[in-house]
Amino acid sequence: MSEELLRTPFPERAGAALQDAFLQEALTIATTKFIDLRKEAFAGFPAGEALRDRARAIKEATLQHLDVHLERLADNVERLGGTVHWAATGEEAREIVLRLCRDRGVRMAVKSKSMATEEIDLNEALEHAGVTPVETDLGEYIIQLAHEKPSHIIAPAIHKTKGQVAELFSRELRGQFPADPEVLTGVARKALREKFLQADMGITGANFAVADTGTVVLVTNEGNGRMVTSLPRIHVALMGIEKVIPSMSDLVVFLAILARSATGQKLSSYTTLVRGPRRAGELEGPEEFHLILLDNGRARQIASTLREALYCLRCGACLNVCPVYRQIGGHAYGYTYPGPIGILLTAMLKGNRSVRELAHASSLCGACKDVCPVRIDIPRMLIELREHLDREKIAPWTERVVFRAFRRLLLSPTAFRLSARAGRLLQRPFVRQGRLRGLPLLFGRWTRTRDLPPVAARTFRERWKELR
Amino acid sequence: MAARAEFLERIRREVAKTPGLFGASTAPRPSDPAAGAEAIRRELAERWPEALERFRQEFERVAGVFHRVRDLDAVPDAIADIARERGIRSLVTWDPAVLGFDAAAALSGRGLSVIAARAGEEHEVGRRRHRADAAAAQLGVTGADLVLAETGTLILLSGAGRPRSTSLLPDVHVAVFGRDRLLENLEQVGVMLEALHVDPDRAMSGAMINFITGPSRTADIELTLTRGVHGPKEVHAIFVEAA
Repeated sequence: MSEELLRTPFPERAGAALQDAFLQEALTIATTKFIDLRKEAFAGFPAGEALRDRARAIKEATLQHLDVHLERLADNVERLGGTVHWAATGEEAREIVLRLCRDRGVRMAVKSKSMATEEIDLNEALEHAGVTPVETDLGEYIIQLAHEKPSHIIAPAIHKTKGQVAELFSRELRGQFPADPEVLTGVARKALREKFLQADMGITGANFAVADTGTVVLVTNEGNGRMVTSLPRIHVALMGIEKVIPSMSDLVVFLAILARSATGQKLSSYTTLVRGPRRAGELEGPEEFHLILLDNGRARQIASTLREALYCLRCGACLNVCPVYRQIGGHAYGYTYPGPIGILLTAMLKGNRSVRELAHASSLCGACKDVCPVRIDIPRMLIELREHLDREKIAPWTERVVFRAFRRLLLSPTAFRLSARAGRLLQRPFVRQGRLRGLPLLFGRWTRTRDLPPVAARTFRERWKELR
Repeated sequence: MAARAEFLERIRREVAKTPGLFGASTAPRPSDPAAGAEAIRRELAERWPEALERFRQEFERVAGVFHRVRDLDAVPDAIADIARERGIRSLVTWDPAVLGFDAAAALSGRGLSVIAARAGEEHEVGRRRHRADAAAAQLGVTGADLVLAETGTLILLSGAGRPRSTSLLPDVHVAVFGRDRLLENLEQVGVMLEALHVDPDRAMSGAMINFITGPSRTADIELTLTRGVHGPKEVHAIFVEAA
């Protein structure tokens, strides 16, 4: 995300999104539709709940022996003639791709949608090095032409109207195109077909990687994932280390719940299993296959607060149900991964300081946990994250002082009794229709958008004394 | 190598902090995948009509077009009909030796240009010619190695005489299969995939397996469902009764 945008504080970014009438409508329509599709998909799939438990268990068990599975994956990929690269940071991963481009004279790279490449800002690095990266997922292509960033993990361009896309295509692809999604899709098909056939390198992420067989698995609907892994002479797959799973038996468990959670499909149109470069008898397929294993802050969470965030399948279900995401959309979060899981992933990848404000962009309602295919306890981790922000003195001092005082007050019976009495007196001017409204000073920030129940005329402790 | 060792050492250190944290286990695996696959085949030899019907329903639900013919001799006619209705003139196919029938021989006389990929032509000239043919063709004919009823999915292994692009570049993809390819659910696919990888070098001549569930689709512009964004706009499945 551009530094410029991040210089605006989160409340302002969110505020701007709330003022954007089109965005508001688009978000409501899209997220509601995704919610309904997901609900329907699981309603007709009684085995789904047990499979979600199983999927979660697989992720837990795999992380427990992550080193073993990664070694196995790497050994198998190499045995198949692929090359494995180990990138501790985003910068190292970028450097690996750029070196490959330089050494092999790559001028154009076609990409299928990959959050991991977004995470390391690969496109900017490629452009800077004189390599043209072409996003080929339709949504990502639109975003790239418009020089924007994705606003949803699986529907990157939901914030754009068909009119805006028509205008964009007409300008960038030189033509006069009507605001008709079918026509516009055809225009993109034609433009991108040429790129697929010309490109020297295909770059993908990985939805899964099967350690046992050395297989990288891509799930797509458009078929671009197949194009970029079949047509260019080099295939580079970039994956976070947490994407490894042990076996094909594990893979089918995830396949059964991934598309249902994301788009309500039983399976996405294409599930592509890649085992290294093309083999001797094949007419097609890349001569070279490179797998980049990316850490970038993941490993240090294996035994830490954000461990469960490493289970994430990037399905986007938690975005759709989140009352905050539904109002502000993906851009306001300001980082690659939006939504409730995005807050945790941002903390993981960029450090706790980066989520100083975002850690509070959740009502902790738990809807995200309910829909997560692997039942990640996002609310619990958000609370723990807030605790860390306090302990590491990242939270604003005002917040820390207020909560510390509050804590003291709750720990001492005397202080509690006295403050209840004081509160009853002090609150008088602010109680309207039985609620606390328009509080002064710091407290006003709460009551600006919400009210509070007032301190009761008699506290429980006072009543308890009499009842006894 | 230093990078790898260092990288793994860091992970090992973190992993060491977690022993006993979770009692979780991964998915159960068939102890003998080949025997498991054989058992599934035996069961399906009885139950295939139900699986076929389920496949038809699910395949049509994802906008696939289902055909049924008596034997392999009837397949070229079915393909010719699909081509004629759409004004298609140029076809590419997998190697006839893989398919079990020669569409080129049967269709060339009917004004259709049919180019079959041949195993053993993987020299540079052959590759270039094949790519040009595949990119120009309007219809691609393949087999299907596994056919998954539960989701209406065709599963294709790439390899010698089985190019990846035949089911990808043309506007229309036609897959031909018999009853012995049918599976009921993803769990059985898991067993089959395990069995294929017991000795993958013998079981598969290519590096890619594609699950195809209906035509290429997108909903990236205002959530409007549009078919044929990069891959085929139509997918047909021809079931051959006596195959």
